[in-house]
Amino acid sequence: MQEKVEAEHILSMNSVEVLYDNVMLAIKGVSVKVPKGEMIALLGSNGAGKSTTLKAISGLLKAERGRISRGEVTFQGTDITEVLAQNRVGMGICHVIEGRRVFEHLTPDENLTAAAPRGMSRSALNAENEKIYDYFPRLAERRNSQAGYLSGGEQQMLAIGRALVTQPKLLMLDEPSLGLAPFLVEEIFGILQKINQEEGVSVLLVEQNALAALEIVSQGYLIENGRVVMHGTAEALKSNSDIQEFYLGGGEETDFHNVKHYSRRKRWLS
Amino acid sequence: MFYRLSGVHHANYVSDSRIFKVPADRNLAVFIFLIGLAAPFIIPSLYLNSYMLPWLIWTAAALGLNLVTGWAGQLHLGYAAVMAVGAYSAIHAARFGVPWEFALIIGGLTSSVIGSLFAFAALRVKGLYLALTTLAMQFVMDWVLTHSPAISGGSHASLQSPTLAFLGQDITSDTGFYYVAFGWCVLVTIFMLNLKRTGLGRALVAVREKDFAAAILGVNSFYYKILAFATSSFIAGVSGALLVATFFFLAAPEQFSVTVSIQVLAMVIVGGLGSVIGSYFGVALILLVPGLVNGLVVTVSEGLGMQINVETLAHIPNAVYGALIVIILLIEPLGLGKLYGNIRDYLMVWPFDQFKK
Amino acid sequence: MDWVFLSELAINGALTGLLYSLFAIGLVLIYKASSVPNLAQGGLTMVGAYVVLALSHDAGLPLWLAIPLAAVIMFGLGFGIERVALRRLAGRPVVMILMLTLGLDIFLRGITLAIWGGTSRSVDLGVSYEPLFLGDIFVSRIHLVGAGVALALFVAFMLFFRTRTGIKLRAIADDYMASWSVGISVERGVGLSWALASVVAVAAGVIWGEIQGVDQALSLLLLKGLTVAVLGGLDSILGAVIAGIILGVVENVGADFLDPLVGGGSRELIVAAVLILTVMIRPHGLFGRHDIERV
Repeated sequence: MQEKVEAEHILSMNSVEVLYDNVMLAIKGVSVKVPKGEMIALLGSNGAGKSTTLKAISGLLKAERGRISRGEVTFQGTDITEVLAQNRVGMGICHVIEGRRVFEHLTPDENLTAAAPRGMSRSALNAENEKIYDYFPRLAERRNSQAGYLSGGEQQMLAIGRALVTQPKLLMLDEPSLGLAPFLVEEIFGILQKINQEEGVSVLLVEQNALAALEIVSQGYLIENGRVVMHGTAEALKSNSDIQEFYLGGGEETDFHNVKHYSRRKRWLS
Repeated sequence: MFYRLSGVHHANYVSDSRIFKVPADRNLAVFIFLIGLAAPFIIPSLYLNSYMLPWLIWTAAALGLNLVTGWAGQLHLGYAAVMAVGAYSAIHAARFGVPWEFALIIGGLTSSVIGSLFAFAALRVKGLYLALTTLAMQFVMDWVLTHSPAISGGSHASLQSPTLAFLGQDITSDTGFYYVAFGWCVLVTIFMLNLKRTGLGRALVAVREKDFAAAILGVNSFYYKILAFATSSFIAGVSGALLVATFFFLAAPEQFSVTVSIQVLAMVIVGGLGSVIGSYFGVALILLVPGLVNGLVVTVSEGLGMQINVETLAHIPNAVYGALIVIILLIEPLGLGKLYGNIRDYLMVWPFDQFKK
Repeated sequence: MDWVFLSELAINGALTGLLYSLFAIGLVLIYKASSVPNLAQGGLTMVGAYVVLALSHDAGLPLWLAIPLAAVIMFGLGFGIERVALRRLAGRPVVMILMLTLGLDIFLRGITLAIWGGTSRSVDLGVSYEPLFLGDIFVSRIHLVGAGVALALFVAFMLFFRTRTGIKLRAIADDYMASWSVGISVERGVGLSWALASVVAVAAGVIWGEIQGVDQALSLLLLKGLTVAVLGGLDSILGAVIAGIILGVVENVGADFLDPLVGGGSRELIVAAVLILTVMIRPHGLFGRHDIERV
């Protein structure tokens, strides 16, 4: 029974703690499970530990002198806690890091080539490129200009496309909506949903823009202060009054004099 | 346990702005100062003159470079050239009959003026490009020195330094030279220790961290960069002049060549950027260890009955010197000063280090 | 003005300049693949030349075998340097990396001389010293050979940077973190760039060793190599070749004009002046990438 549950989750994180520089405890026991083929969102405010969670999964912590000090990360049933970042990519985990970090001095075409896994044939790479340009037609128009001069939305699309070249089974995105116009966010999220359905790629999405994220994911985790404080289906989260107030904005007629943020936040954390 | 402290914690601004945040450090400094004062009576004059004296003067020079590289964050690969300017102008002034007190100041000021030229490069570029520009400027200075007999002193390109004298008193004894070097080094050290407590020091750090962010906060990075270069060049100039007056006695262009620039930078970086105590360690390591290793190699090879040819022996100190730089950087990129800090912090809470932080 | 003489100066300058390019390509390779300024290239060049000598003169191998073998050894050394030294300082401020490569340079020079001694030796490539006359202009054969090697390496590396591995190296130079995130092994990439630069160092070491003898002075090429690399744009191989030619011509012709005025030895001065002017006027050089800053 236990094994069957495990098999359905492409990724599971078990009470993971992350230490930076052997000093700073960035996440304090986070458990996240991603069911195969689904889209999951990690929500939370700045500095809550969402990005660190993603880096713990992708192995990029090492580049920032962080490490997993407790707990383990399991991907498709194997423990990957000690696996190097570049090998995790080979296993099928790809992390689109925050801030659209495309290779600025390379063209989009070269960006995609740079991400090609070892041993991918030229024709397979070309086919992959065409598929990606089908998802992102805007990119196709500018495939030979320097990536640093693409617009923000195009760079984000390129970053996602570049991740797709690595043939991921789990795609992790760190704030893809950062600094983008709402219509672009909608477009990108729509494409993500399409990729998720057509390619069967599981998606783990970190977002500040909770409203947009909850529209496309099936489940969400709410992280505060390095801990998961809430977990539920997208519908359940959307209808939760705390979430509405803190992350979705509004609710009915907010009277700011009566909003008691501090006391209500406290209740989650204790 | 050793320090009777549980770490450095501040309860008010007065304690935060002390020079020595750990009382034991202050006691140690006083102790070392007293040893330094007593050194001529403890240490044989050969060692005093060939190790202690250059160590002190180079430390003063390294502290000057630390000001511009460690505090203000500007790379400088032409520091030896600035020292040369000070040395030559001070000696020419002294030969001209200017009393040494003023000759040194003239040397320092000339260095300041020429050294500020380097600052104009720093206003335009930073990082790697600044390093390369200053390196090129060092070559230009070298060239000017070797190609103008009027400066470097005729066809032999060497310039005899007149007898050092302060307040009408000729200084000719080893002890006298030592005290001059000691006094200068103490002066520079006190200046540098106080620097971080002043607005100037804080402005320099702000410029180092992000110059345009500093500009937004109202720190005129233009002004502070030039000030940093001018101050450090002054220290360089006087140190260079003293080096010739008390140690070399003869100024020659090779004493201030590009390898010397690299050496001073190595002293600063091995010692630790922005660390005063580190500069002392760094200079000691770079200046003394290659020689010691050489002695060791000779002894060991003689002990084992091996024949090492002269050429090999001549180049081992260089290899050791390069290896030292690499090894220290790999062990602790922030240098010996940081290592010292780590050890002190460890001892401070020992044996209860689990309560640290 | 004697035009034949001037063109002879210019052509020989250009050939010498291509030899500077040969040296500078090593710098550019590493900068292009990891954004690390490699001040140890002078030391590497020296080691390369001495290894060739050790294999050919001391071990008695023929040159056609000694040179490729030296290239293989140096390839390994390049990887070793990355593994031992650079990996641990990745992402540190540039001042520390500069110092590291300077320390490495001093170490390599010291250890080479400690092992093989500092007496100048010749490679004996077997290129004739007979002058070659192109019309009225006289050129040195070894310079021609060296220029040919430089151009061949240039073409090879231009092609290399279009291959998938080459593109990955350029990606690494752009952004370490993003490279890791898509599974590029940054360590292996940087190691490869050092290995290639070490192979280039063998080529430069052999040619320069033939011209001026294998000794300490080989490492003094660093200033000229740096000037060429910066003028060309630090990350542009084409830039390194063109800048090499420019510097060679300017140096040779300029020295001819300046030497009588200042009493000789103006070459160093011209090189340093070109470096300063380049950095002041156009820091990214002729063909270097502009760092794209968008707000």
